Amino acid sequence: MKRRPYVLLAEVTYGCPLHCPYCSNPVSSPAGLELETSEWKRVFQEAARLGVLHLGLSGGEPLLRRDLPDLVAGARAAGLYTNLITSGIGLDPARARQLRTLGLDSVQISLQADEAELGDSIAGARAHQRKLDAAAAVTQAGLPLSLNLVLHRHNLERLPAIISLAESLGAQRLELANVQFYGWAWLNRESLLPSRDQAQAAFARAQSARERLAGRMEVVYVLPDYFEQRPKPCMQGWGERYLTVNPIGQVLPCPNATSIPGLEFENVRKQSLETIWHESASFNLFRGEAWMPWPCRECPERHRDFGGCRCQAALLTGDPSATDPVCSLSPRHQIVRNIIDAETAGLDGSSWQERQNPSAR
Amino acid sequence: MSNRDLNSRPMLASHVRLKTDPVSGDPVLLFPEGLLVLNATAHEIVRRCDGESTVAEIIRPLAEEFDAGEEVVRNDVLENLEQLRAQNLLVFLE
Repeated sequence: MKRRPYVLLAEVTYGCPLHCPYCSNPVSSPAGLELETSEWKRVFQEAARLGVLHLGLSGGEPLLRRDLPDLVAGARAAGLYTNLITSGIGLDPARARQLRTLGLDSVQISLQADEAELGDSIAGARAHQRKLDAAAAVTQAGLPLSLNLVLHRHNLERLPAIISLAESLGAQRLELANVQFYGWAWLNRESLLPSRDQAQAAFARAQSARERLAGRMEVVYVLPDYFEQRPKPCMQGWGERYLTVNPIGQVLPCPNATSIPGLEFENVRKQSLETIWHESASFNLFRGEAWMPWPCRECPERHRDFGGCRCQAALLTGDPSATDPVCSLSPRHQIVRNIIDAETAGLDGSSWQERQNPSAR
Repeated sequence: MSNRDLNSRPMLASHVRLKTDPVSGDPVLLFPEGLLVLNATAHEIVRRCDGESTVAEIIRPLAEEFDAGEEVVRNDVLENLEQLRAQNLLVFLE
């Protein structure tokens, strides 16, 4: 397939009422003013012209944007299939109906656990019951509901109850995403990394749930890549299929790309999305295969996994163009082995560092 | 798919939208986190899945329009519908 963005992730704010210890937002948010309503609408139009079909309205918590109804209407006007990616906090029945009327296609609500005590402690807020209420509001409004749950040491054992809860909430899709260690999750890896046994047991449970629920609820399981022998095909290749625009307008090949030291990103305030996609140094940096080091450049699997994740390579080896050290063929694979051994040596309930939220604007 | 199902009325599931890809011109089904590019046959079938027409009523005009045997068309339609159902993209109203 020809290179083209299919998906735009629009992170419309870094603000969030939750404090999850694995938050995917940057540990220190880049400074700048959030894009305004009209700027986002222009971005949606530019994205659609570039070939984008899917829009994820995300954050932070997108419901904190007072102009969210306008943004949804703008996305619909651009013809995008729009998914609201939310904590659920602030999503009452009236708001759900309003967003549906304006053209929202689906809603994804994050959960932290199957019950309030654990869920609230992970979220760092009284959130669990409000999420259940939001899920009900979504289905009552006739909107398709997806649930997303980040799995880690403290909730992996709860998987059967989590799956039952998703069924009872009427979700059409359940995304069970093992925590990936970047940003906040990296800071909290000592507390979050599961044991190999935990990870394997959870995988087996997810597999059997997927079979049992086939045709009723789609169960997606994102593997914990530290325990794999091969890296994930991150973003289906750098600058191949995905675009992220962050709250201040920077355009990123991957939501986590600002974590790579030394990279500079173009801004939709200064250039069109089309120019940035085709011509920016950041998007072209890891396209194709010319950048690949040994052993990737001679590896028959490079067409499948594209050498893995650039952010992970940068974080673990200091070199963003290194083979993802998750790969057992990487000369630096031992780094991952050492992390697993160190962090799961004395599995305990060690405390985590809550994500500190920036103010909404 | 049984004979009973020939009287059911297929409809795109609530999370699925049929759209023409503005870049390629191909018909696509969009749903959360995914898309399915439809070939010409699948498109002819899917665009008739309106929740009103029964499976039998979808087969008949297709056989006439494409001047193909009803048996062949029936197999094509049933196979396509079954694949879409397996992916949770279609629902069948009784």
